[in-house]
Amino acid sequence: MKFKRFLAALPGRVCLILVAAIVFIFFSNDFGLVDIQKTAIVLAVGIDRTEEEFTLTAQIAVPKGSDRTTGGTSSVEIEGRGETVPDCISDIYAKTGWVPKLVFCNLVLLGESTTADDVFSCLDFFLRNEYIPNSCQLAACEGSAGELLSSQSAIDDTSALALSKLFSDAAKKSGCVMTTTLRQFSTGYYGVSGSGYMPYVRAQTQENSQGTETASGNSGSAQSSPGDGPTEQKIYSAEETAIFSAGKLAAILPKEQTFAFSLLEENVYTGTFSADGITYVVLKNNGSVELDVSDSPTATLSLDLRVQLYGSRDASMPGEIARSILTPEQEAKASRIIEDYLGGLWETCIRSGCDLLELKTKLYRSSMTDYSQWKDSILTSAAVRIAADVKSVS
Amino acid sequence: MKLGSRQILFFLAAVAPVGKLILLPPQLAAASGNDLLYPVFPQILVQTALVFCVLLLSRRERTVYDLLKDGIGSTGAKIGMILISVFLLYAAFMPLIEQKLLVQSIFYDTIPSYIVFTPFFLLSVYLCSRPLAYTGRIWDILAPLFLFGMAGILLFSVGEADYGALLPFGAQGWSGFTDGTMRACAWFFDAVLLLPFVGRFGYKKGLAWKGALCYLGGGALLLVFLATFYGVFSDIAIIQVFAFAKMSHFFAGLTVLGRIDYLFIFALAFVMVFYAALPLHGAVQMIHDAFHAGKSFSALLSTGINLMMLTIIYMFNFDADSIVSAISGTLFWIMPAIGAAVIMLLLAFCGRSRREV
Repeated sequence: MKFKRFLAALPGRVCLILVAAIVFIFFSNDFGLVDIQKTAIVLAVGIDRTEEEFTLTAQIAVPKGSDRTTGGTSSVEIEGRGETVPDCISDIYAKTGWVPKLVFCNLVLLGESTTADDVFSCLDFFLRNEYIPNSCQLAACEGSAGELLSSQSAIDDTSALALSKLFSDAAKKSGCVMTTTLRQFSTGYYGVSGSGYMPYVRAQTQENSQGTETASGNSGSAQSSPGDGPTEQKIYSAEETAIFSAGKLAAILPKEQTFAFSLLEENVYTGTFSADGITYVVLKNNGSVELDVSDSPTATLSLDLRVQLYGSRDASMPGEIARSILTPEQEAKASRIIEDYLGGLWETCIRSGCDLLELKTKLYRSSMTDYSQWKDSILTSAAVRIAADVKSVS
Repeated sequence: MKLGSRQILFFLAAVAPVGKLILLPPQLAAASGNDLLYPVFPQILVQTALVFCVLLLSRRERTVYDLLKDGIGSTGAKIGMILISVFLLYAAFMPLIEQKLLVQSIFYDTIPSYIVFTPFFLLSVYLCSRPLAYTGRIWDILAPLFLFGMAGILLFSVGEADYGALLPFGAQGWSGFTDGTMRACAWFFDAVLLLPFVGRFGYKKGLAWKGALCYLGGGALLLVFLATFYGVFSDIAIIQVFAFAKMSHFFAGLTVLGRIDYLFIFALAFVMVFYAALPLHGAVQMIHDAFHAGKSFSALLSTGINLMMLTIIYMFNFDADSIVSAISGTLFWIMPAIGAAVIMLLLAFCGRSRREV
């Protein structure tokens, strides 16, 4: 009896299990398995432009085998050219037969030639494309982006991975780098302020670098062939920040102003700065930019920092090392230093006409009437009040 | 077999909002900019009132067909049921197109679009051939899944959201509000989705109030989601079509934890599948009720209706934008006008027994 009942229910159960299996496979994308042999996993792209065309350099990850001694990610750089960025992608496909897959592309590097014009002439492709994460990092660089991506890093086999270390969360907290994502940059560009920023990367040749031969299978470049001989190893730095107005490069913030901007954005924790041979570490960072238009527009840049002595050029007694607190004179000196940084940042923004501190956005959000009155002249007419309060932790 | 009143409340609070997470947020951002929350208020209030009416209608614990038969006779009831089914099939368009776009764009980017969405209809055929009362059990599972998915996505997104982007209030003016309200109509038909369930759950005292409150709760969650969505994307919100699958990408912890936000995205995507099949299921059930046919009729009807929808969806495969524009644009009035009219007429003429009148 039981067996008959079981048999009667069997077709329904089998049907249910089949449907469940199909749903599971369907939503886990097993129907869409990608043939890795035909797909190029792009780690980063570098974009340069001339009057006529764009040049896109894609750094493509290459499996290195399971040999422990050569573990890690190696890469090749392939260059595509075209009138638009998708044309460059198609060019790479045509040249190599690899379908460039940008889902894992975590860095878009813009060369000097690209940042001289509206960068959204190339970035809009990344916004349009559903398969490129809006969380990918943006950076500008000195010289050609393609050359920088093709250079050999001294700290990693793949330059994109070396660069990603510069843009880590820890680096951001140090105040040395102001990272941005495609989403953040786009919201700034399309927003009322029309401004944005991204880290500015420079490459320096590693002194006494021995180099490695490309034939060794580390960072292989499409332009180089095995046996070319030793290549220079590069160290990258991104302590400066490129600021943009209406999508064009407006100015480059030096590292002190980058640090001040980081402080205003409240990014810094355990970041350091120096004054008169003493280094301070920031343990609490409150920052704000306020705009008051009651009489005439006045912007107030305020910082409230709690810091500790981190190091000194002169030898200290064990008691002083144990306390690590600042004297009132040191607090005043540190406040002045930070105020100078903030003053420099303000000057750069005004001089370049870049609304980096989003004064227009603040105006727009607070009052449409004030916005209509001041939107065109806020940057030139606003006075600034800078207040940095640096206190020692007790 | 009947549904529990708890399951109805689960649907209203934690399944109904899921249908508004894919195309509605960018459509609202396009129409109303930073004022995207205001057009949703009247929609939620109207639907809450209609949900209250439908639940009042269920006090007699008789199906819509029985109520219609009492009011306008057997033939009229059959015609009425067919018309409501047609309306449900029309309502099914938007969630089906949203599902198709989601599957094509988020899950499968390398497969031709003609075949990629077909497996959905296999599940739908099976679901629609089952008695409607079984849906209650599914909601018992889906409601916690929805809360899990929504909580996770909001938790991961809140830190990246700049809620100041919603300011200044009323920046888009009256036209922004009316345009947004008009477009949002296409996504608010939850009260009509309840019609096939009338008479299939035990009415307990106060259920109408509880149902309305649960719908309001779900609506509040939707508003929080929309505010967070606009806070994360602000001026580029208009192009963020699959927002719920993207908002959580920016959580800083993902670099350490890996893409655990996919758990929440998959949870919501799973709930959406059943929500998309619900109007079809309701349509099948309405016709089944009208003609009192057997089990095999249900299966045949389910297959037929799903094949029809599959054909229509693929006929307009590359015209999804046009369909969405038509349903949320020129045809926006169909959802509120016909939906409200059907429910109000049912309540007015069939809501009480003759003895009560």
